[in-house]
Order: sequence, then structure tokens, then C-alpha cells
Amino acid sequence: MAARQEPAVIAPAPARGQQAPRRRGTGRGRSLLARDRALGYALVAPALIVLLAITAYPLVYNLWNSFHNVDYLNPVTMGTFAGLANYDRLFTDNQFVPALVHTIGFTVVSVAVETVIGLALALALNRAFPGRGLVRAAVFIPWAIPTVVSAQLWKAMFDPQNGFVNYILTALHLPLAGTAWLGGTWTAWAAILVADAWRNTPFMAIVLLAGLQVIPNDIYEAARIDGAGAWKTFWRLTMPLLKPALMVALIFRTLQSFLIFDVVYNMTGGGPGNSTSVLSYLDWQAFLTDSDFGYGGAIAVALVIFALIIAAAYVRAFRTEQVS
Amino acid sequence: MATATAAARRARPRHGRAVAGRAARRTGFYLLIAIFVIASLFPFYWMVITSLKTPAELNQGTTSLLPGGRLSLGSYRFDLTQTGATGINFGQALANSAIVALSTTAITVVLAVLAGYGLARTRIRGKTTMLGFILLAGFFPVLAIVGPLFLAYRRLGLLDSYPSLIITYLIYTLPIATWFLANFFSQIPHQLEEAAVVDGATRLGALRRVILPVAVPGIFTVAILSFIFAWNDFAFAVSFMDTPDRYTAPLAIVDLGHSQFQVFYNNIDAAVVLITLPVAALVIFAQRRIISGLTAGSFR
Amino acid sequence: MSTWPDRTGTPRRGVPRTRIAAAVAVAAAAALTVAGCGSSGGSSSGKQVPASAKQTIVFATQGLGSEGTATQAAVRAFEKANPKITVSILNLSPVSDVALQQLTQRFISGSSTPDVITTDVTWPATFARSGWLLNLGKFHPDTSAFFPAQMATGEYSGGVYGIPWFINAEGLYYRTDLVKTPPTTVSQLVSDARAAMKRDPSLKEGLAFEADKYEGAVTAWQSFGAQIGLPYLSNINTAANKAALTFIYDAVHTYKISPPAVSTWEESQVQSAWLAGQTPFALNWPYIFQLSQSTSNGKPAYPAVYNKTGWVPFPNASGGSPQASLGGDDLAINAKSTHQAAAWKFIQFLTSDQTQIARAVSAGDPPSVKSAYTSALYSKAPYFKQEQAVFAAATPRPVTPVYTQISSELQTMLSSVVTGQATPSAALSSTAPTVAQLQATLHSG
Repeated sequence: MAARQEPAVIAPAPARGQQAPRRRGTGRGRSLLARDRALGYALVAPALIVLLAITAYPLVYNLWNSFHNVDYLNPVTMGTFAGLANYDRLFTDNQFVPALVHTIGFTVVSVAVETVIGLALALALNRAFPGRGLVRAAVFIPWAIPTVVSAQLWKAMFDPQNGFVNYILTALHLPLAGTAWLGGTWTAWAAILVADAWRNTPFMAIVLLAGLQVIPNDIYEAARIDGAGAWKTFWRLTMPLLKPALMVALIFRTLQSFLIFDVVYNMTGGGPGNSTSVLSYLDWQAFLTDSDFGYGGAIAVALVIFALIIAAAYVRAFRTEQVS
Repeated sequence: MATATAAARRARPRHGRAVAGRAARRTGFYLLIAIFVIASLFPFYWMVITSLKTPAELNQGTTSLLPGGRLSLGSYRFDLTQTGATGINFGQALANSAIVALSTTAITVVLAVLAGYGLARTRIRGKTTMLGFILLAGFFPVLAIVGPLFLAYRRLGLLDSYPSLIITYLIYTLPIATWFLANFFSQIPHQLEEAAVVDGATRLGALRRVILPVAVPGIFTVAILSFIFAWNDFAFAVSFMDTPDRYTAPLAIVDLGHSQFQVFYNNIDAAVVLITLPVAALVIFAQRRIISGLTAGSFR
Repeated sequence: MSTWPDRTGTPRRGVPRTRIAAAVAVAAAAALTVAGCGSSGGSSSGKQVPASAKQTIVFATQGLGSEGTATQAAVRAFEKANPKITVSILNLSPVSDVALQQLTQRFISGSSTPDVITTDVTWPATFARSGWLLNLGKFHPDTSAFFPAQMATGEYSGGVYGIPWFINAEGLYYRTDLVKTPPTTVSQLVSDARAAMKRDPSLKEGLAFEADKYEGAVTAWQSFGAQIGLPYLSNINTAANKAALTFIYDAVHTYKISPPAVSTWEESQVQSAWLAGQTPFALNWPYIFQLSQSTSNGKPAYPAVYNKTGWVPFPNASGGSPQASLGGDDLAINAKSTHQAAAWKFIQFLTSDQTQIARAVSAGDPPSVKSAYTSALYSKAPYFKQEQAVFAAATPRPVTPVYTQISSELQTMLSSVVTGQATPSAALSSTAPTVAQLQATLHSG
């Protein structure tokens, strides 16, 4: 590829609120923008095409199923058009809405907890201290254990009789010793939260840690010379610069939390009763227990719509903050 | 790493109370680190102890914090010596996991770097739509995807093969990788590229020679994210992989640890220790790359 | 530094968006054509390969370890007796739910393999209803050779879809050193348990049973005396069911012979409690007997229970005759299989006396064939003699295609009762209509 004869300076990124300078009418100018765009599309295309190719079929499959009767236990009606019946069921079956409430509640709490701890962890790991490398590896180990296993591990740890949690609480004479953790609604949620946070906080930490790397140290030096305190430095200097990484971390962690399945399935199965049921678990039941792929498809589509709403809300929240 | 200038050093307080305050803060800091490490590692320590128990000791329940009784390597021996059609070759399972995870990581990094750069640095239109679609792709509930993908792979003859898993994992690794890198690239100062172009480089050349070295922390972060995701998956692997020789590590662990009614926690935990060690080694290797050159002021 | 995603104010025109939308549509159409639309297509039941021709059949089954070894041995013996037929094993996950998913996926895809499949006793009716299993009636199987309770699990809508492979039943384990004679009523069990706990403070509980939110809770409830067979599904709010449910509640909250932890216990935890000698009574399947009597290096592996183990049917909480919830596995043939004759031969081989006894001795799976319980079996594995009493009381769960859904409702009910979140009568009366409706929709659908 011959070296391109481009002008000496690439058009600089315009300041907020200004239009990019448009070189209309000049052959060279238009080709500059066009070339930039062509390059851009070419760069993004591979990822987009790959994703499109892989997800198109599952998406269409579920969409189609959600509007038809695809109940393997009813071969007679199989494949017939069902209109909005499956979606109607979401609101009338008495399971979707409670699961939605549980899921939203859990997501809010778990994301808040994991963000705070993850941020503290990232800040701590950002500083230089002896043994930092080993500490970093140690802190990311929970994440390396397959969820199938860690969920069962935590279930065993919370066993009231033979598990470790009650053993320690009893030994240290702490309150709540002897509780049947997974036998009560709130204590079960607490146990699920601990298992989930243990596993996923390293994810927040690593994304935020990488976000902290983009902040040059000189800024901290300047702040220190100016005599700014640690808290002020953090809040006024670090946080705004960390916001983009924080947004990415929050979006993905929120959506993962919203789709939580393994921990609930292995630890409580939605119990006691249905008090820890979550949306993904309901979807699983529709597919596996009920063999009803139409209803399962409707739940899946509903989940994707929720995911979009949540992501859009985050992007808007972070963008309006920038404008101020 | 803070490189304190002389001025900063002069600015540091010297008198007693402030020094004591600093010492207290430093102790607090180390205490915090200690808490993090203990909280992260304690369950893992628990798994190590359990892996050293015999089945008889396992049935006794929690008796103490320390490894009691005879330390037995029986579980390890069990996990590692299973071969043949009625057993799981654990070494083979580890190799399968490694191949799949590394391939997924490599493809993800390449695609995400290109796409992230394109989204961050070029003036294409429709970025929001693209980003939205990329995000959307990653948020299907797994159960909703397994079925149709099984049908598709069966038609294409891809069942029981590495590509079936690699392709599937891309659905989940590409979105976060692309979003993360797009964000990361956008935060790198424009002067870097401009300087390179002034020196006569092409856009792609600038990307390769100037931006990438600076983006190493982001790239390694994305690599770790993808690797861990691919390494840990169970739901897809159990649906697409038929023969025990092709099982990935999580499948092998579940199969080694379960029979009709029994759960062999000692075998499971031994297997987990075995698979965590290479991942921990990987993280130790990679974590040094996560700390960037930017903070060392390399672009001055 | 630019903020991201950047809004540099470039005016938007619709073109890129429609371009993307068009790309989506094209890709979707292409993907659909490539992958086909779900279950249509795939090989339909084509020409049948005669049993005498050279062929390979695929056998989908769970079990590695000792069960896998037993399966391998049976396969080799079969191939020796039928040199033209090769059997290839497809390993299903040992976790029941996952195996169900793996099988369902394959059936939905319309695949002609696997040819022979192993099913849990509660699955044949569901698979048969969906049209995925072959009606074995045309081979005229000898249905009287099997325990009637388990044979019933393979029969649906006048056809035979499952042949029993091995049987399992849940019963009461009791410590012969702590309890002189096994209790025949529930109240006697409670007083025996309490007495034992008082005499020996090292015992952690009086009765260990499974009450986690999973299928095992339903079998436990049935073993305690619940009547949930097909005729009862229209109204499960009966005195017997309430008695069994109340027993579960009382064991934990009133008599306190079972710890609250049972609400998270499955077979594995009950096994641990029993083998560690923590309890005089436990509810579990026959494999515990074998474990209790196992030795390592010439010494008993579990001295607390070695030679001190007895196993009887659990007393019925409502005072009727004891019930032992039926478990085990059946064998079935894929409706789309093109090797039906060879597949049937294989099933016949697996259910022959010799093969059944071999598997019982090496893997501990109790034979489903009545004629296998002979001295040939007892001489190698004497505990099977004691186990027969429990198998005789075996009671199947309802043989209905909607069983998994009914079970899900029952599990929710049992979970709320054992954790004390609902009283037995309230839980039963609110669950009964749902169960009735599930069963009723079958006839209208």
C-alpha cells in the first residue's frame, strides 16, 4: 500500500459543541473525510459482521418462537401463530413480575456493593507497594474459578450444620451464628450476594484499574503540590477522569447481574418457595421444565429489551454529566 | 509509580503528628490490602484443604480451619489418572480449554482493537447504533442461545469441535472488549497520532507503532477478560461437546465430581486447584502489562 | 481528552442506519437458510437397517467411574455376541437436569441418533408425548419380567416407551446399635430418635433427609407417605398428603429431630451425616448400603456405621402401608432411529439376567428384572437381599408428560413448608388447584 499523501495535520478533534470543519468543494478535503470514514467502516466491519452472523439466527429464532406456539408437549398446535399470547403470559402468570422485582432489587444492591469494593480495590492496586504483583494475582483468583464450582462451594460454606460460615461465626461468638442461611428469604439473598460479589468484584476492579492507567501521574503530583487532600483529589480529579471506564464497567456488570443464573440455580433453585427466583431462572424453566419455547422466547426477548433500556439509561446518565 | 519531584518532597510534612498520621494511613492501607487478599483467597484455601481430604474425611464435615488428618493426594491422583472411554483425561481437558480460550482471546483482541480504534478515532456515522448493536449481542440469556446455536452447528457439522465454542464465546467477549477499547482509545491524547503522521506514517501505521504500545494495559485487560470468560464457561461446552476427549475443564470437573447421587467435593476441589494454577500464573504474567506506560510519562 | 462516545456534531443522515438495518435483514435471512428452521428437516425415520447388517448404534447414557466401567463391559459382551453391531457410547452429563437438556436438544434437532437412550424414570411420558420415542409394543416386550411399579413408568397412552434398566427406591436407614427394632410408625420413629439423641449427645440430629428445592424433596415426601399418583393429581389436598407434609414440618419445627439445614440438603449431605455417624436415622437410596459396608485397606471406611446399618421402608405418616419412592433409569429408542432392530437387541441384552447381575455387583445398580434376584446375585452382594423389602414397596411418581412442571410446583410447596414460610395446610390447598390444572390442560391440548 503506497504511503498516503495526507496533509500535514489531521483535523484535530473539535471542541465540544463545535462543528467539525467541513472542506466542502475541495476535492482533496472531501476525500479526506471520506477516506477517514472508509477506514473507520473497514475497521469496525469485521467485529460487526462476526457478531451479526452469530447472533442473527438465535435472535430471529427466539423472536419467531415468541409469536408462535412452540410447546413440545402440544404437537398439535406446534408452529401455529400465537400473536401476543406469550407476551401476555408474562404479565398474567404470577411468576414473571415477582422474578423481575427480585432481579432488579438484586442487581441494584450487588452492583452498588461490587462497585464500591471494586473501586477501593482498583485504587489500592494502583499504588506501588512491595508484593503488588502477587497481591493482584491473589485478588483475581476468585474470578478464575468456574461459576458452576464456586456456586456449589459457597452453598457448602453456608451449610448451617457443616459449613464454614457458621463455624466461624460460632467460634467468634458473632451474631447470626447458627442461621439456616439458605432457608430464609433475606438470608438466602445475603448468601447469594456474598457468592456473587466474591466472584465478580475482581471484574470491576480490573476494568477500573485499567481506567486508572489512563490518568497520568503528573496530575496527582500537581494536586499534591497544591496541597489538595486525598479525598478531594479523588473526588474532583480521579473520578471525572475515571467516568468513561466506570460507565463501561457499570453497564456490563449491571447487565450480567440482571442475567444472573448460575449462582441462584446452584444455591437455592429459586427457593425458599419462589422468593429468590430471577428472570434467567424463569427462562430456564420455560425451556427445560415446560418445554415451551414460545414462552421461553418471549422471556428472552423481554430480557434483551430490558438490557437495552438499562444500557441506554447509563449512557444518557453519563453523557448528561459530561455536558455540565 | 510515583516519581516524586524535589518540590513534592519538600512539600511533604515533616513534623511529628503528620508523620504519625501518615504512618497510620499506611497501616490502614496495608490492613485493607490484607483484608482483600484474605477475603479473596480464603475460599480457595478452603478448596485446597478439601482437596487433600479422603472421601471418609470429607463426610465428617467442617471440623477445623486447619488441614486435619492425613493429607492425601488421592483426589489429585484420581483426577489426573483417569483416561480412556470411561474416564476423563484431565490433562486433555485442560489442553482443550487452553486452546479454546487462547483462540477466543486472540480473535477478540484483534477484532476489538480494530473496531475500538475505528469507533474512537474515525468520523464514521452511526456510532451509537453500532455500539448499541454490539452491546445487544452480548445480552442474550444463555439458555435462549444454546438451543438455536446447537441446531445451527449441527447443520454445519460443527458440533464437538473447537470452532463451535470459539465462535459462541465471541458473542460475549466482543461486546465488552469493543466497548472497553473504544473508550480506552478515545482517552489517549490525539497528539500521539498527530506526531506520528507528521513524521509521515499512515493511519494504520500510526495505530500499530504508536497507539498500540500505549494501549497495552487496555489490550491486556481485554485479553484477560476474554480468557477468563472462555475458560469458565460450562453451559455452552456441555451442549456442544459430545466426546470426553473434547471436554473442556469445567465439564471435566463436573463429570469427575458427580455420580448419580454423590458429589465428590475432594475431586472437584482438586480439579479446581489444578485449573486455577495456570490461570494464576497467566495473571501474574499479564498483570505487569496492565500498568501502563502513560503514567511513566512516556509520551512527553 | 475527548469524551466518549463522542458527539462531534456531524449531522446525521439516515443512510448508515438503513444500511445497517439492511445488513441485519440479509444476514438473518442467510443464517436462517443455512441453519434451517428448527425441527423441520434433519433425517426423518428413513429406511430401517435390519439387525443382521453391519451397523453402529449410538447409546446415550450417563455414568463414568464404576458405572461407566460396567457399561463398557456390557457393551463389549454385546459386541462379542453380535459381531456385526458396534455400540458407540454418547456420554450424558451425570447431573440430571443437564442430561435432560442434552437429550431434549438432540430430539428437537430431529436427529436419528442416539439410537438407544437412558432416561430417568420420570421422562418417558414427556418424551413420548412429544413424539420422540419409539413405541416398543411392536417388539412384544415381556412386561411382567420387571417390577410393576417401574414398568408403569415406561407405559404411556397404551404404548410401551421405556424398558426398566435398573431400579432404585428410597428407604429408611437406621443404626442397628442405637435402635433395637426399626420403627413401623412415624410416632415410634420420633420417640426412637429423641431417645437416641438424649442417650448420645454426640449425635447431631435424629433424622437426616433431603429437603432442598429439587426433585429429591418430592421423592422424600412420597416416601413419607404422600399419594401423588395419576389418580390423585386432580386433588392432592388429601389427608394422607397433609400428614406427610406435616411430618416434614414437624420434624424440623416441632419435634426438632431434623435441623433447619435439611432445607439445603440433597443426597450428598444426608450421606455425609449418615456415614459420619451423626444421626440414627436417614432417608436415602440403596447406594448408601454399599458405602456403609465398604472397606479400605482391610479396615471399614466408615466405622461409625459399618455392620450397624439396616434399611427398611419408611413408615407411612398417615398410617397406611409404607411407600418407597421409586427412582432408577429406563431404556428407550429414538423414534427417528434407523437401527431399531439392533437397538432392541441391545436393550434385550442389557436387561438379561446375567448382565443385570454383573452391573449390580460392580456398579451397585439394583436390577430391574425380578428374575435376577437369585443366589447368583446374593452370593456376590448379600445386601441386595435386604434391599428387596424396600423395592417391594416401590411407588412411582405420576406418569404424565407434564411431570416436570408438576414437580416444580411441588418443590416450591415443599420448600416453603420446610423453611417454615408456609403452613402445611395452606401450602397444600394453594398448590392443589395448580397441579390439577396442569394435568387438566393435557387433555384439552
